[in-house]
Amino acid sequence: MNGASMNGLLLAASFALPLLLAVAALWPPMRRHLLAALPAAPLPALAAALLAPGGSLMLAPDPLRLTLALDEPGAMLLGGSALLWCAAGAYAAHYLAASPRRTTFAVWWLLTMAGSLGLCLVADMTSFYLFFTVASLAAYGLVAHEATPAAGRASLVYMALALLGEAFLLLAFVMLAIGAPGIGNPAIAEAVAHLAASPFRDAILVLLVLGFGLKMGLVPLHVWMPLAHPVAPMPASAVLSGIIVKAGVIGLIRFLPFGGGLEGGGLGGWGEALIGLGLFTAFYAVAIGLTQPHPKVVLAYSTVSQMGVVAAVAGAGLASGSRATPVLAAFYALHHMLVKGALFLGVGVTGKAGGRSAGPVFAVMAVMALSLAGLPFTSGALAKYVVKDLFGDGAAALAVTLSATGSTLLMLHFLRRLAGLVAADAGKRPPAGLLLPFLAMAAASFLVVGLLLPATGASYAAALAPQALWKACWPVLLGGALAVLLHRFAPCLPAIPPGDLIVLAERGWPAVLRLADRLERADETLRRWPVAGALLLLLLLGLGAAMQLSAGFHIPGG
Amino acid sequence: MMVSLLPVWAVLTPVLGLCALLLCERWIRPERVAAPFVGLSLYLSLSMTYQVMTSQAPLVYALGGWLPPLGLTLRADGVGVFLMTLTALVMTGVAVCAWTPSEGASSRGRFSFWALLLALWSALNLAFTAQDLFNFFVALEMLSFAAVALVALDGTRGALVAALRYLLFALAGSILYLLGVGLIYGRYAVLDLAGLREIAQPDTVTLAALALMTVGLMAKTALFPLHLWLPPAHAGAPAPASAMLSALVVKAPFLIILRLWVDLLPLPAAAPQQIMAGLGAAAILVCSVIALRQQRLKLMIAYSTLAQVGYLFLMFPLMPGPAPWQDIGWTGGLLQLASHGFAKAAMFLAAGLIYEALGHDRVAELGGLARRQPVTLAAFAIAGLSLMGLPPSGGFIAKLLLLTAAVEAGAWWIAAVILAGGILAAFYVFRALGHALADGDPPVAPVALYRQGAVLALALCALAIGFVPLRPFALLAIGRPLEALEALP
Repeated sequence: MNGASMNGLLLAASFALPLLLAVAALWPPMRRHLLAALPAAPLPALAAALLAPGGSLMLAPDPLRLTLALDEPGAMLLGGSALLWCAAGAYAAHYLAASPRRTTFAVWWLLTMAGSLGLCLVADMTSFYLFFTVASLAAYGLVAHEATPAAGRASLVYMALALLGEAFLLLAFVMLAIGAPGIGNPAIAEAVAHLAASPFRDAILVLLVLGFGLKMGLVPLHVWMPLAHPVAPMPASAVLSGIIVKAGVIGLIRFLPFGGGLEGGGLGGWGEALIGLGLFTAFYAVAIGLTQPHPKVVLAYSTVSQMGVVAAVAGAGLASGSRATPVLAAFYALHHMLVKGALFLGVGVTGKAGGRSAGPVFAVMAVMALSLAGLPFTSGALAKYVVKDLFGDGAAALAVTLSATGSTLLMLHFLRRLAGLVAADAGKRPPAGLLLPFLAMAAASFLVVGLLLPATGASYAAALAPQALWKACWPVLLGGALAVLLHRFAPCLPAIPPGDLIVLAERGWPAVLRLADRLERADETLRRWPVAGALLLLLLLGLGAAMQLSAGFHIPGG
Repeated sequence: MMVSLLPVWAVLTPVLGLCALLLCERWIRPERVAAPFVGLSLYLSLSMTYQVMTSQAPLVYALGGWLPPLGLTLRADGVGVFLMTLTALVMTGVAVCAWTPSEGASSRGRFSFWALLLALWSALNLAFTAQDLFNFFVALEMLSFAAVALVALDGTRGALVAALRYLLFALAGSILYLLGVGLIYGRYAVLDLAGLREIAQPDTVTLAALALMTVGLMAKTALFPLHLWLPPAHAGAPAPASAMLSALVVKAPFLIILRLWVDLLPLPAAAPQQIMAGLGAAAILVCSVIALRQQRLKLMIAYSTLAQVGYLFLMFPLMPGPAPWQDIGWTGGLLQLASHGFAKAAMFLAAGLIYEALGHDRVAELGGLARRQPVTLAAFAIAGLSLMGLPPSGGFIAKLLLLTAAVEAGAWWIAAVILAGGILAAFYVFRALGHALADGDPPVAPVALYRQGAVLALALCALAIGFVPLRPFALLAIGRPLEALEALP
């Protein structure tokens, strides 16, 4: 077997192994071991990310055209996801070992994993929609796992918005496919190349931004995240925040036409609009996050804020026509994936650490938290360094820099809240099953992001030059200073419920229920004999009249 | 076209089985008598499909060598064999699932069930191969009477009331249909579709006849708001019967509507088609919401059938071309019909097994099912995937094609309804799944694994349709347009 087909098989195995394990749950002897098998499931994907970039595989020939292909941004996100799935899987195997619903959890976990890993390596539109849907809907099971009223509410909101997002995307894909080469199921790249000339161009772009923005949590579609992340079990929060929201990032990378010959205002205003939306999200989420007492909710708002930055990066790429945008956005997303994964796992570890073990755990958490803010020598500093050139020198560049200040504020707030979680029992030590995955993720954020820096075209010398370091430093220092000020005014902050806008939307819920009641009563009326008989005649007359009229218009003298 | 006796055999074999059942009633258990005829009918349907696909031409037989307009012809075209295959696979699945080696229900009830299954099958094959308006009527009446008897099979008061409702409304539909046929005969003295196609004019009488027939058939299809009979009938019948009723029986009148509008008198797309699609849209939106609020699983599934039937009527304005069978709307609608057939059969059978296992089908009390009956639940989930229109499934392909057709035709309201219907379906499926995945340790009666396997197989059929390429499906255009039979070749 030659190398190319070997690579192809590795790509297919990336999502086939988790799927097979999920199907194996139908077989009772396998079920007992399913949870323990979670850390092994993403290993083919990890191998594929390392060995098979550039590989491709035609899963089904021409009329179907299901195609796998691993490009550079795809490989970054695939590898990062596989790492986080491994660590979080090991964490979950320990964390949920005693849960009565562990098998169900494992099945949802594996399905979500298969979807999210497959998403990084598909090249045709149908497969993309397939994996996007699998990842998005299977995650419902992770949100709903705890079966508490809060989990019920969060999973319902999640589900409703996820389905809404799917509907937006399906419509966008259908419009994109019309007229694109390759009847039925065009390759994504071909369809996107055709986008600028499509009669539906603006509608497609709106729907794409809505669909993917919903997954990324762009305001005002972010409301599911602060509800879902805190109620999910700790490892599930890590993958939700680390990986699932990246499905939206992959979508933007794949479907926005970066540098695709659209100069001369071909996409006039779209890039700027996306920058605006992203930056608004970045600051809005910081503002709301600062009012939140629960550390996991604060982390969720931080994810919203960071995804706002990624959206702004995509917008800047669109505006400047830079073909490097996908790699840069993927690099930023990779950094966030690993760091946010480590932070969520760490929240659970902190709760189990007391006395002398608390200090080191807290220190690692502090470094991870400030990495999100772009502290020099962390992955965050590198990520922010590579994307900043896209924004040029204008107001957008300043706003992106200041978003680091916002992140600093938010993360210092997070650390203060986290300190309240430290176990009171001084003799308490975090179990190795939780501690090791957490530390592995923290280390991976430095190593992986550091090693991949050259792939973005940046050099270590420039990234670590004193000037660059100062540029990374001052927003953080400013954030620290502001945090001190803010601490003074902390009691004056309003109490905003998690999910902010959703609370307003939920006021409409009784009206929805009333409407459903009314429909049910109407149905009962319609199913009475006299009513149904009358409707039968009415329909007969209506249809007959319509036919006569339209035939009269179309075929005169018939 | 190819002359072949196979369509005749496909109609006759189940009838022969029925005769054998009557003869052997005292000595041999009914399912054992019926089994060989089920197998033979399955084989016939599959081999007809194979022949039509390889020859790319319909199979035709003129009974007694008499040509229309005097004689009767049976003609299995691409759509016909496609639906016969659907029928055969669903019937086989139902037969396996209803196969109970132990003495369960009363032997009289079991006898009736198998006899009605065969009668239904024969009627369906006739409806899918008949070529003239009167044969359609014969097939529809056979179908209705077998179906009504299936609804009444349990013999409880509720079942009898539901069956009577069904009977009366189906009769009302038949009367309208027959009136339409009478008008057509009076106007043209021909009932053969191919012959009518050549001479039919869109004049007042013909249009009135078409409206009468269409509305009569809509009543039999249970298109909203003519659905008063369906929920109690489908929810009250024994699960294998509900599976056949929902998956197949409501589809036969729909197919006849489709053939009237495409084969008999192709009208330009205008207000009438919009009205039909409008009713379909109302069915999707209203019935999905009501499905969401049902407390019993079988009622939920019955309302879901009403909603899914609505999708079929969306196809009428989405076939604007001069040859509608080349349009993606045509393929989309027919794939929706087939994938809903498989998915709904699987879902009703799964609900039946759940009822057997738990002794009830209250949605809120399904907890613990995931651990006790994973195969049944997997089948339910896969069937649900198709109903929601999520990939990879037949429902997805069907909805994608309809959606594409709607966008191409600029019918944005249809596109919106298709998407909203998918969201609502996801809610009612996930609601049931969520309860079934919850904790619980209910006492569970054992259910044989092969029966669960049959349900899973049907659900996987719905999934398999998801691998049809996204373009007009060539099989469904074989044998179109209709041509009059001048002489037997």
